[in-house]
Amino acid sequence: MSYDQTAKKLVQRARKRGAAEAEVFLEVGRQSSCRVRDGQIEDLTQSTSKGVGIRVIVGDRLGFAYTSDLTEGSLNAFVDRAIELARAAAPNRLNGLPTREDLKQKRADVGVLFDPDVANLASDWKVKAALEMERAGKDVDARITAFANVGAGEHVSEVYLASSQGVSDHFEGTYVYLFASPVASENGQLQTGYGVDYKRFLHELEAPEKVGRDAAERAVRMLGARKVKSQRVPVIFDPRMAAGFVGGLASAASGDLVFQKSSFLAPLLGRRIAPSKVNLVDDGTLARGIATAPFDGEGVPTRKTAIIKDGKLESFLYDAFTARKARARSTGNADRGYNSLPSIGTNNLYLEAGDEDPEALIRGVKNGFYVTAMLGHGADLVTGDYSRGANGMWIENGELAFPVQEVTVAGNMLDMLKNVDGIGNDLEFRGSTGAPTLRFAEMTVAGE
Amino acid sequence: MPPTPPLLPQATLEKLLGRAMARGAEFAEVYVERGILTAVLLEENRIKSAQTGLSQGVGVRVINGSQVGYAYSDDLEDAALLRAADTAALIASGGGSEQSYRVSRSHAPSFYRVLTPLSDIEVARKAELITRANKAGRAYDPRVKQVTATYADNSKHIWIANTRGRFAEDAQDLCRLSVQVIVEGKNGERRTGFYGGGGRVSFNHFDTFTPELVAREAARQAVATLGAVEAHAGPQTVVLAPGWSGILLHEAVGHGLEADFIRKKTSLFAGKLEQVVASDKVTVIDDGTVANSRGSINVDDEGTPGEFKVLIERGVLKGYLYDQLNAKLMKQRPTGSGRRQSFKHMPLPRMTNTYLAPGDDAPEDIIKSVDRGLYCAHFGGGQVDISNGNFVFEVTEAYEIEKGKIGRPVKNPILIGVGPEALKNVSRVGCDPMPDPGLGTCGKDGQSVPVGVGLPTLRIDNMTVGGTRV
Repeated sequence: MSYDQTAKKLVQRARKRGAAEAEVFLEVGRQSSCRVRDGQIEDLTQSTSKGVGIRVIVGDRLGFAYTSDLTEGSLNAFVDRAIELARAAAPNRLNGLPTREDLKQKRADVGVLFDPDVANLASDWKVKAALEMERAGKDVDARITAFANVGAGEHVSEVYLASSQGVSDHFEGTYVYLFASPVASENGQLQTGYGVDYKRFLHELEAPEKVGRDAAERAVRMLGARKVKSQRVPVIFDPRMAAGFVGGLASAASGDLVFQKSSFLAPLLGRRIAPSKVNLVDDGTLARGIATAPFDGEGVPTRKTAIIKDGKLESFLYDAFTARKARARSTGNADRGYNSLPSIGTNNLYLEAGDEDPEALIRGVKNGFYVTAMLGHGADLVTGDYSRGANGMWIENGELAFPVQEVTVAGNMLDMLKNVDGIGNDLEFRGSTGAPTLRFAEMTVAGE
Repeated sequence: MPPTPPLLPQATLEKLLGRAMARGAEFAEVYVERGILTAVLLEENRIKSAQTGLSQGVGVRVINGSQVGYAYSDDLEDAALLRAADTAALIASGGGSEQSYRVSRSHAPSFYRVLTPLSDIEVARKAELITRANKAGRAYDPRVKQVTATYADNSKHIWIANTRGRFAEDAQDLCRLSVQVIVEGKNGERRTGFYGGGGRVSFNHFDTFTPELVAREAARQAVATLGAVEAHAGPQTVVLAPGWSGILLHEAVGHGLEADFIRKKTSLFAGKLEQVVASDKVTVIDDGTVANSRGSINVDDEGTPGEFKVLIERGVLKGYLYDQLNAKLMKQRPTGSGRRQSFKHMPLPRMTNTYLAPGDDAPEDIIKSVDRGLYCAHFGGGQVDISNGNFVFEVTEAYEIEKGKIGRPVKNPILIGVGPEALKNVSRVGCDPMPDPGLGTCGKDGQSVPVGVGLPTLRIDNMTVGGTRV
């Protein structure tokens, strides 16, 4: 039986067993990866996997079960288990699958998500790419003495969705990635540089040699890092650190946290929260994006949502359940795997590029901190308080002067937003979240 | 309790080992796992969802020299399993032919006895726990606005067979109840409290570790920190409350002692055996055999029995944490530290329950000894960079210490340091050892495993506190 038939059949079985509504989410994937060490293969992995989750509504009660065992006897028992669980849950009249109206929103053309070059990627290609990263990293400097990790891999994933609301659909996508973490050492100090790229299409992947070299340069640059005195200074996040910051902002824009008043953004919808050049976008339809898909985890067409538009808080992100609670519409942000219920997550999330050269953003700082790595979770989404361990380069008179470690940067996310005084023109994606270089007029650096 | 029937017959495991060795590798291992997971979530006064899942599969690992081939399958049909064994075998390129291997069961002691597998406990009883937690949390104080409660368990069974003839199995039930409370004070100030626990315990654990106790503690933290002042940024003397604060140890030294980082020379603790890496008041232990603890293992995910290991003794580095591969390559003995998240992952050297041995000081004397500093009562999580040793440690409930007395609450500070330096600055160790309540999950290379931590009351001098007040 084909996977879409299996999905439909499970929906029918659930309906027969008393479910008013039922939805089946089935995933099939295969993946392979390789790591190298000292010019040789360190490990090769390869696998196939699959699994199915079913969400049922029985008399306003919700049940959910999943299994990785797709043999027929097991599947029947698992449908029954979901229904039993629903009977044990509390009724909530807001429970339900997306409405037909949600499901019928117009679909954008999301373009191609599948690259045959990735699907047929030879094992040799990955070995060669990993070796190139390792060699390029070592060639940067004699002080690159080890690699924590260096490797490459790909995965191919298919999603099938069927529901009692008339959904029966699927899509297939490819993903390819490189990672390198060279370690530099000098005078007993070790510093790791992190390099990564993650794309749907092989031809968009950064050259392995460049990933290895950049990571090694980042590691070497940190040698001799030290603490600085505690002070308030301008702080610049490089694009990767900025991507982490906007990820935190988007979490606070989750309709669920907002509805529960557990987000500092909750009371600010429609208000100006940042300078007008700040635009934060979630786009499930972005051409070739890692998270691009025709529909979200419950079949609602994906779309482009401006979270912050010209500095104004424009929209929160919703799945169907939370939208119903909040009397809003789903924004196509139901995120899930087969083994979890949908919850609100981002698709392709990015801060729009500004028009400033990142070098110029650094040149404009007399005394400040350029952050290139962070530790810790960062933000308290309830209050917006933000505090993380940070490493990077100290800026003196517009130049990167010396490496800094063992300090923290802290502020409140709302203050940080208001304090954005420079946005680079270097927006980049190394996964599903992207950002350009971002400068804050002032944050607290804690050190000596 | 009758033994759980194996997911695969022993003959199939032996057949897979033979196939995995067909290209002339040194070692092969088959790891079989079946887990039944249940989770119940309550928010906004209602059970939001109840769910259950089955996850099962087989991972085949082949080692040749320092090279590893790994393949897994969640399809348990012979053809799919043999394909996985053939794929893993590709790491060895030498000639060879299929050989036959025999394994025999080895018995390990049990450090956790769970009366009834948690998967057999009715979901309604699990739902009742979080319903009670919600009620107790809301009744604690009128300022409580939100209570979110979760109960989750996993009845996991593993079987490991390898070409050295070992055949080990373990039933590893695990559960956790956790509660988050949000309170609202004056001027809309919102504070969060979090508490929970569990372990490799029978469900009746919650007869004593009650949902009321958990919810009240979460609510207490949130209420106690209303009106918290901004943290002073910069070096301070800190006192850590006992228990869950052990994450500091886990981050500051534990990860840096894992043998893969040592072998690759990417940890700042590499090459420092028998050297002084901490104050002489510091003795650090990793113990996989603590009764019913979240991090305990009868056997690790390579079939090696769990162990008690002294890592640092009175400040001197004594040992590292070894899985089989790193032990072999470093000519050491595996220490029961090979762990993996699931059959989809290769084992890595990991911690189990990591704690600091108690000292001589009374906890109240430690607080009294501080003229000006920070008392850290409850903690979020932490993270470390193994190479430079920088770690952070998030404090969710903290107070100023003024002239030996606990004063005003301080807004979520974080502590940052470099592992060995922070441990050299440990100036007092309490006589009050305490394990954490069973909260911890540790992440490494994208793999999560349950861990335990523990610490007596501890004073650390000159610790950098992150904050906004300069």
